[in-house]
Amino acid sequence: MIEELRDVADWVWLVPALPLLAALTTGARVLLGRAAGDAGERLTARLTELAALTALLLLVLIDLAVIWHGWPGQKIVGTWFAAAHWQGRISFLLDALSLPVATLTALIGWLVVRFSATYLHRESGFQRYFIVLAMFLGGIQAVLLSGNGLLLFLGWEMCGIASFLLIAHAWQRPVATGNALFAFVTNRAGDAGLLFSLGLAAYWVGSFEWPALLAASLPLVDLRVLVLGFAVAALAKSAQLPFTPWIARALEGPTPSSAIFYGSVMVHAGVFLLLRLEPLLFHLPDVLAGLLLIGTLTAVYAWLCGLVQTDVKSALIYATVFQVSLMLVAIGLGWTTLATIHLCLHAAWRSWQFLLAPSWLQLTRDRPAPPPAWLVGRQAIYTAALQRLWLDKLGVTLLAGPTTAIARDVRALEESFIDRAIGEPGKGRSIDPERPLVCADGLPGRLLAALSLLLQRIENRLLLRGRGGAAERMLREAGRWLQTLEALLEQPRYLMMAVMATFVVIL
Amino acid sequence: MEPSIEQRLHHWIEHLAHVLPAQAPIRDFVHHNTLHGFQHLPFADALAAAQALTGAQVYWPAQRFGAEYAAGRIDRDDLSAALDDQGVDGLDDEVVGGLSRRQILLAELLTDVPGGAVPALAVCRRLLGDAAPVDEAWPELARRRWDALHAGIGRQYSLRALLLRLSGEDVLESVRSILQRHLAAHLDLGMAAWSNPAGGRGFFAAWKASAALDLSWELDELPGIRDEIQHLPDEPLPLLVDELRALLPDESLWPGYLERLALELPGWSGMFLWRDQHPAGGAGHPVSMADYLAVRVFLERQLCGELIRRLTGAPLGLEELHAYYHACPAEFLVREAWHLAVLPEDLLATASALCEQTLDGREVRGWEALAPRVAVFLQADESTRWAAGLQKLAGQLALDEARLNELGRDAVNRLLDAARLSPLQRGQIWLAAYEGHYRESLFVALAANVGRQAAPAAPSAQVVMCMDDREEGTRRHLEELAPDIETFGAAGFFGVPMYWQGVDDPAPQALCPVVVTPDRLVSEQVAAGSESLLARHAQRREIRLQWRERLYQGSRRAPLAGPLLTAAAALPGLLALTASSLAPAWASLAGKRWRTQFDGRVPTVVDPGVGDGNMPGFSDDEQVERVAAFLRTIGLSASFAPLVLILGHGSGSRNNPHLSAYDCGACSGRHGGPNARVLAAMANRPAVRAGLAARGIVIPDTCHFLAAEHHTGDDSIEWYDLEQVPAALQSPCDTLLKQLAEACRRHAVERCRRLASAPSRPSPWQARRHVAGRVADLAQARPELGHATNAAAFIGRRTMSRGLFLDRRVFLISYDPGSDRDGDIVERILLAAGPVGAGIALEYYFSTVDNERFGCGSKVTHNLTGLFGVMEGADSDLRTGLPWQMVEIHEPMRLLVVVEQAPAVLSAILARQPALQELVGNAWIQLAAQDPATGSLSRYCPRRGWLPWSGRAVLPQVARSHDWFAGESGPLPPALLLGGVA
Repeated sequence: MIEELRDVADWVWLVPALPLLAALTTGARVLLGRAAGDAGERLTARLTELAALTALLLLVLIDLAVIWHGWPGQKIVGTWFAAAHWQGRISFLLDALSLPVATLTALIGWLVVRFSATYLHRESGFQRYFIVLAMFLGGIQAVLLSGNGLLLFLGWEMCGIASFLLIAHAWQRPVATGNALFAFVTNRAGDAGLLFSLGLAAYWVGSFEWPALLAASLPLVDLRVLVLGFAVAALAKSAQLPFTPWIARALEGPTPSSAIFYGSVMVHAGVFLLLRLEPLLFHLPDVLAGLLLIGTLTAVYAWLCGLVQTDVKSALIYATVFQVSLMLVAIGLGWTTLATIHLCLHAAWRSWQFLLAPSWLQLTRDRPAPPPAWLVGRQAIYTAALQRLWLDKLGVTLLAGPTTAIARDVRALEESFIDRAIGEPGKGRSIDPERPLVCADGLPGRLLAALSLLLQRIENRLLLRGRGGAAERMLREAGRWLQTLEALLEQPRYLMMAVMATFVVIL
Repeated sequence: MEPSIEQRLHHWIEHLAHVLPAQAPIRDFVHHNTLHGFQHLPFADALAAAQALTGAQVYWPAQRFGAEYAAGRIDRDDLSAALDDQGVDGLDDEVVGGLSRRQILLAELLTDVPGGAVPALAVCRRLLGDAAPVDEAWPELARRRWDALHAGIGRQYSLRALLLRLSGEDVLESVRSILQRHLAAHLDLGMAAWSNPAGGRGFFAAWKASAALDLSWELDELPGIRDEIQHLPDEPLPLLVDELRALLPDESLWPGYLERLALELPGWSGMFLWRDQHPAGGAGHPVSMADYLAVRVFLERQLCGELIRRLTGAPLGLEELHAYYHACPAEFLVREAWHLAVLPEDLLATASALCEQTLDGREVRGWEALAPRVAVFLQADESTRWAAGLQKLAGQLALDEARLNELGRDAVNRLLDAARLSPLQRGQIWLAAYEGHYRESLFVALAANVGRQAAPAAPSAQVVMCMDDREEGTRRHLEELAPDIETFGAAGFFGVPMYWQGVDDPAPQALCPVVVTPDRLVSEQVAAGSESLLARHAQRREIRLQWRERLYQGSRRAPLAGPLLTAAAALPGLLALTASSLAPAWASLAGKRWRTQFDGRVPTVVDPGVGDGNMPGFSDDEQVERVAAFLRTIGLSASFAPLVLILGHGSGSRNNPHLSAYDCGACSGRHGGPNARVLAAMANRPAVRAGLAARGIVIPDTCHFLAAEHHTGDDSIEWYDLEQVPAALQSPCDTLLKQLAEACRRHAVERCRRLASAPSRPSPWQARRHVAGRVADLAQARPELGHATNAAAFIGRRTMSRGLFLDRRVFLISYDPGSDRDGDIVERILLAAGPVGAGIALEYYFSTVDNERFGCGSKVTHNLTGLFGVMEGADSDLRTGLPWQMVEIHEPMRLLVVVEQAPAVLSAILARQPALQELVGNAWIQLAAQDPATGSLSRYCPRRGWLPWSGRAVLPQVARSHDWFAGESGPLPPALLLGGVA
């Protein structure tokens, strides 16, 4: 038995693949119209649960194998694409960081799937929800277990899209779709950082693989730039300042999705990325100090905002952000083991607390303790906390405002000049009053029309001007010549000469 | 003398109570008529008024009724009878081509049922020709429509609604975002740790203090407002008057406008008003509706003003806006067509580009060119609708094209006139037909059951349950199981309105219908000799609860203890989650057991005579009075069985903010067990028995009253004071315990048939296990289905309904007409149970027909807010009414109350009771009578008086309930049960 466990880590690719397969299967069933009604619901839920449970059991087996066979380390499953020394591999890094977090995530994922199957019974978006949830479970495992940056990026994006789709689960409500877009766009900033760093890694290090990347000896300046991109991605995903507002607007989805995404699992992905980069971070005390500062500021911010929240989901989300920012502080101080342990414990507790959010009324009996006396009477700070330091409004004003303005100008440019220059279908006007059938709009259209007029003129001039036109005469002349040539060729001697000439050419 | 503005405002605010949801904070959810403010109107008029005011659906959509028709739950005769009920004129006169108005109307209604061949639309359009509105020049069309719109401001629309129509931009979104945080903070009952420092001075002051410091205004490009807010008056009233005057110069429109504004965020407005009117239900901060309205009107004017500025380029007042679009009919017409979405795609794109560009603040041209092209579609829209109507109608009447042509234009127009039904009339007729169909099946059942039943001569036990429709099933199964048991039903507070304080309760709670304010208090006492146990219990319980509080609140917001608590609780939390996911029933039971073990058990007793320092208990005379009145009401004043069980009920579920919506409605949404226990304790006291005997109710010494509580969620029974059962009755008592437990298990089987995740055809034990797991499941949004099946109420002896399968759809209220010649008792019952039953039925009705407006939508996105309500997500209106999961299978119809009493007696009661006159006369409930002597049935029609019923009393017969419902998952018609008859 123990011997058989030796190779179980080779199957780790199933952990992200199975939920994805479940998502694909459900998606196909929905497309084929095979997922309607209670029976369709049951099958979807069972399928997703089975995938989640299998992933969990597999991870538990791998964990067990660790006891006897040690950490599996980097496992290369296959090469996705390769060009010269550039290799995009499907590889997994199974170590003391990824395995515990992934196992816990798989457990929470399985429990949330079970929870959702009952909770969302007969909800109109049931199938949609499960497709997205399964996609998330696959994506987050790819993030956690990935052995290289590329796979992590893939999972990272899947989580981002899943999050977007679930915030907009109640798409009939404009608030939900607006907030989904807000969260999505904010997270794109982080994705840009991630992509930037991966590009640099490919360029400077020549590999996406974590072991190569983490052991790379780069000049400190380069390293700093490389890590900063990753750090931006981590800060955005873990909703640290200045990105925090998106997570408070992400609570529109069904309660279990809020629980697994923002309460317990996805919000920790950023912290996880930083923990993954730990060896690099330790070369850069200034970056660590920066993380420490951001973590501290976020902690103060989240604590302050948490004081005034009046709905249970918002109250819990600020509590979550607060503790996540403490993990960042721990990383900043170099206490990565503490941060990892805190991450796991926090994820476990918050999933319980978030799933029980609807029963807050029964779980608590008193008002929470008031804030310290020096704070209580401060109207300005209160207002700032209530308006969440205006961060989301600022984001909209500073980013969305100018973007909209640019878009508006570009649109005006397009409508006034480009569209006119290119021309639009159905807008054509006749350019020659004598030929009302030839209509054109825009530069290419006019050119074509002009060309067609020209050709028509040629046609008219040369061919159609009845008998005795120039063209007819020339053609008759050419016909006579050809007939003479043919008569000559038909004679045997000329025929033989032609054959011999052919042979000469061939030889 | 003209009343001052204060008085008038006070009056307007009082009026708002009629139109806003009157839901209390969610902890005390009690069913009530959603349209309680319209109850003075006849049902159909009230619904029309409510729709005009709120835009809500007030009937099921016609397609839904059409589907019921297709499923055989409504038939043609029902529709025909419904037309008679509505009092449509000249129903049987010929209109055209041998068709009577009745036939035409029936055909028109049945156009909602899918299927059937139809003539070509073009033919219909050609035939109608003149019927379509005349073509008019587009500027006239535009001005006519604009004038009509503008005149509706303050009556039908607020300025914001008008601007939404013109610009496509909803000011309300901003208003809600701005207001919602302040409102929730001010009303908060204990979620936030920190509330506005100025909150103690009222909402207006708090908002002003905070808004003046709020930088959002700058970011929203409304920079001037902050200064303006700083210099606002300190009192809301002057501000309100100023702003209203600036908005609407015409004062007569103010009350209507305030009503409109309040109704734009009905949930928040309703909660604010409730707290205004119930100061005791708050948490310190004073709540005044005038504050809220002042802020709301201020925001309306500011934000609408800003939008008008962007829309027209100038800060226009209402009259100026009117003049503006009068002068630019082209622009208005394009905007109108854009809003109504009647345009083909290319025009729509052009129109929306124009409309959106104005908001960007750019000079826009092209309205004039677009307007005439758009006008065509606005006009065509109307005529197409007419032609489509004719097309469907002709299809139903089997009039083919040839026949239509033959009839000619005039006849076709007459046909259409005869068929004209407003959507409201249509809904009303369908509803009447739907109700009629079910009523017919109940009448058949009642008629078939006449004379089949007699009360058991020497019952082994008598069980008094709540009138609740859910207990119909329990009673039926108990009687089937033990034919010698007699059952009764009564409002679940059992005639004992009181404050109750259990040993574990932090404060007394009122257990009685919500309209009654009790003046007696009963507190649970520790049994003699166990005082030290109680002290230990209280102490340990307090420790446990403090730790729980520390854990949940601390891990949420304590900066230092939070991470530590989180770390400590993570593993138990994860284990608990896993356990309750895999074995919810076991996890819940184990948790309960451990809690009890930790706290320690305390034996308790109840003495109805002992109150507390502030409020007395019931004196001996009062106890006699209460018990006698109660027993007389239910018709149990002689031939007592050895055991009389008073069975209250309550529900329980995990993770469910709407918890109390499943509890006993007669106990203000709480558990009715304590009332049962107090009544039993009263009836067992020798002093009370002596008093009763003096009043002619002789309870033999061999008779003992028991009390228990039925958990309608998991069908378990909690028994009280079993140690007081006399030794002689121990064995019958054991038998009763067993019988009731088995009846509950069988009842669980019946409940399982409506639950999709329950095993199909379960055994009683399986069913019981399923419901136990269901109630304990954290993920379960439907712990039970509540009153989802309620449809009728019977007031009479059990012989009237015993042996009938009624599918848990009927409130059963015991009443003996024999001892109530002049109807005094039934009058009291109707007064008490009528509003409770009507409240439940009507709340379910409205939450079903428009779950978006009257209900609170799906539970899955609910977010508990301020401990007083739920929002969808983190920024929405407060949602009131019932969640979709509770009404999913509900069949919306008005409660049918069948009273076993002579119609003449009931007429007299109606005549002298205005409250009942309102309910019955305005048709909020349907009333019927079954004559106690002959068993003949008649129903009351507000328009035509009592209508005797005649029909064939033939009903399917089965041996037991189980034979009728096994394998069925939909609603079932009544059946006669052959077994279980004593």
